[in-house]
Amino acid sequence: MFAIESDALSKTYTNGIINPRRVTALTDFSLQVETGQIFSLLGPNGAGKTTFIKMLLSLASPTSGSATVLGCRLPDVSVRAKVGYLPENHRYPGYLTGEQVIRYFGELGGVPAKTLAHRIGPLLDLVGMAQWRGMKVKRYSKGMLQRLGLAQALVNDPEILFLDEPTDGVDPVGRKEIREILKDLKRRGKTIFLNSHLLSEVELVSDRVAVLDKGRLLKVGTVEELTTTGSAYEIGVAGAVPPAVFEEARAFVLGLSQSGDHLRAECRTTTELNRVIDLLRKNGVELTSVTRQRSTLEESFISLISREARP
Amino acid sequence: MKIIALVRGTVRELASKATLYVLAGISTLILVVAAFAVGATSSSDGMTITLFGNPISPPVPPDVVSELAGKLEAGFAGGLFLGVVVFGVFGTAGVIPDVLEKGTVDIYLSKPIARWQLLAGKYLGSVAVIFVNIAYFIAGLWLVVGLKAGVWNMHFLLAAFLMTYVFACLFAVVAFLGVLSRNMAIAIIGGILYLVVIAGPLEGRQTGLYLISGNGIYRTILDGLYYLLPQVPAMESGAMRIVGGEGTSFVPYLQSFLSAGALLCGAAWILSRRDF
Repeated sequence: MFAIESDALSKTYTNGIINPRRVTALTDFSLQVETGQIFSLLGPNGAGKTTFIKMLLSLASPTSGSATVLGCRLPDVSVRAKVGYLPENHRYPGYLTGEQVIRYFGELGGVPAKTLAHRIGPLLDLVGMAQWRGMKVKRYSKGMLQRLGLAQALVNDPEILFLDEPTDGVDPVGRKEIREILKDLKRRGKTIFLNSHLLSEVELVSDRVAVLDKGRLLKVGTVEELTTTGSAYEIGVAGAVPPAVFEEARAFVLGLSQSGDHLRAECRTTTELNRVIDLLRKNGVELTSVTRQRSTLEESFISLISREARP
Repeated sequence: MKIIALVRGTVRELASKATLYVLAGISTLILVVAAFAVGATSSSDGMTITLFGNPISPPVPPDVVSELAGKLEAGFAGGLFLGVVVFGVFGTAGVIPDVLEKGTVDIYLSKPIARWQLLAGKYLGSVAVIFVNIAYFIAGLWLVVGLKAGVWNMHFLLAAFLMTYVFACLFAVVAFLGVLSRNMAIAIIGGILYLVVIAGPLEGRQTGLYLISGNGIYRTILDGLYYLLPQVPAMESGAMRIVGGEGTSFVPYLQSFLSAGALLCGAAWILSRRDF
């Protein structure tokens, strides 16, 4: 069973009554998220990421298509008892203290009072907010609110956690702590669905990533699948490659260049790569490493988006 | 259970606002003034109730004093009725638009609560807070008149429930506008305008609005609106009669109950169809 499954989900918003303007937020969006994974949805502003989460939580209704969360066909109010959500730009009641916020939303989440009494302290400890539990939320900084929001999302011990820009406004140390929390939750079998602009962070925690632009799914796969550039290999060499050998090797492949103690070979097939390696070894060049060249997630993301933007 | 949590949350939210403390402060001030102002003197001719030391009637037998005190209380209730209801609207009108704001509604609706439950919790919480305010004032005034004039008019205590009931009916209009517009100012202005510009003139339509035109359709529309919307002025005058120990028709109360119910159902329906 998939934790989340959407089938041709589409959403068009209609703004205005007298002169209605239709905005398509999501088009035929089909996606499966396996249980126990950290899944990240990437996309530029207005790509439809938040709309997708909102439809999964029944905050917005789909124009067409269907979706299930934990096997329950949406809309289903009861499934929300097993879900935690940290929205972007959340606003908590400023007149409550951090502890009261967790208790209040825990009660609304259907958590029994006795369970809450035992859960709130450890949760605030987990997100590093224990010492500010008695402070009114209106005095919290952005980073503190994010941490509180994470605790709020975890208060019902959810099976799926939806996090929309969870590290927004959090300092680097806090971001690392949140990443550790997410990894720990994954170890405990929770499914985490992440929307984030911070691609370097997504790269560090995600099992699978989907890229979305203008409401359409562009690519989905593991971080490795998305960041592997395809045919380029980096060959580490000890010492200089004789010019004649270099020229002979260049004839086997699409492109070959040298930078310091590394050769960059663009090959059509692995046979071509092996022919280069054989040639180098035959001529006494010592190899130190062979790695398939990868781009960063950010580079892959920008490449995907700009490819889509081209006419 | 979740509705109770929502009601508690709303009570806490309203308790954090200055408006209701101002209302409680005004009530306390009036009670203190009343405690000094109301008095009773007895002589061989009978008893007299005094206000600021001045008798409000010639000496009368004790049973007539009781009737006079009832009328005094009814006058108090009537005089303060509009103020309490308007202040109540000011103090509570933001509750529903606030919870529907982006960033807040997302958190509430990500919990296993239905949208109508969210509306019901916020509505009931607001009414509960206004009831406490009204009950404090009415019970205080009842005690003052009882202790100072020796008259314990049980009908007057009913005013707390009647005023809350009227507020609840008016608040259904405010809640409907709040859901529709998601704007506190529109909810407040709409609620007050309803009270002053619609409910009042509709109540006196036979001596006012009817005179604008003799057209049958026009008059039918006015009658239709009168019976479709909460009849706040009719309930107010009915409450004064009850406090004064007189009988009154319960039709406006029943009809307003149905109107308020329809408005709340309409608000819940709009809420259920809205994308956030």
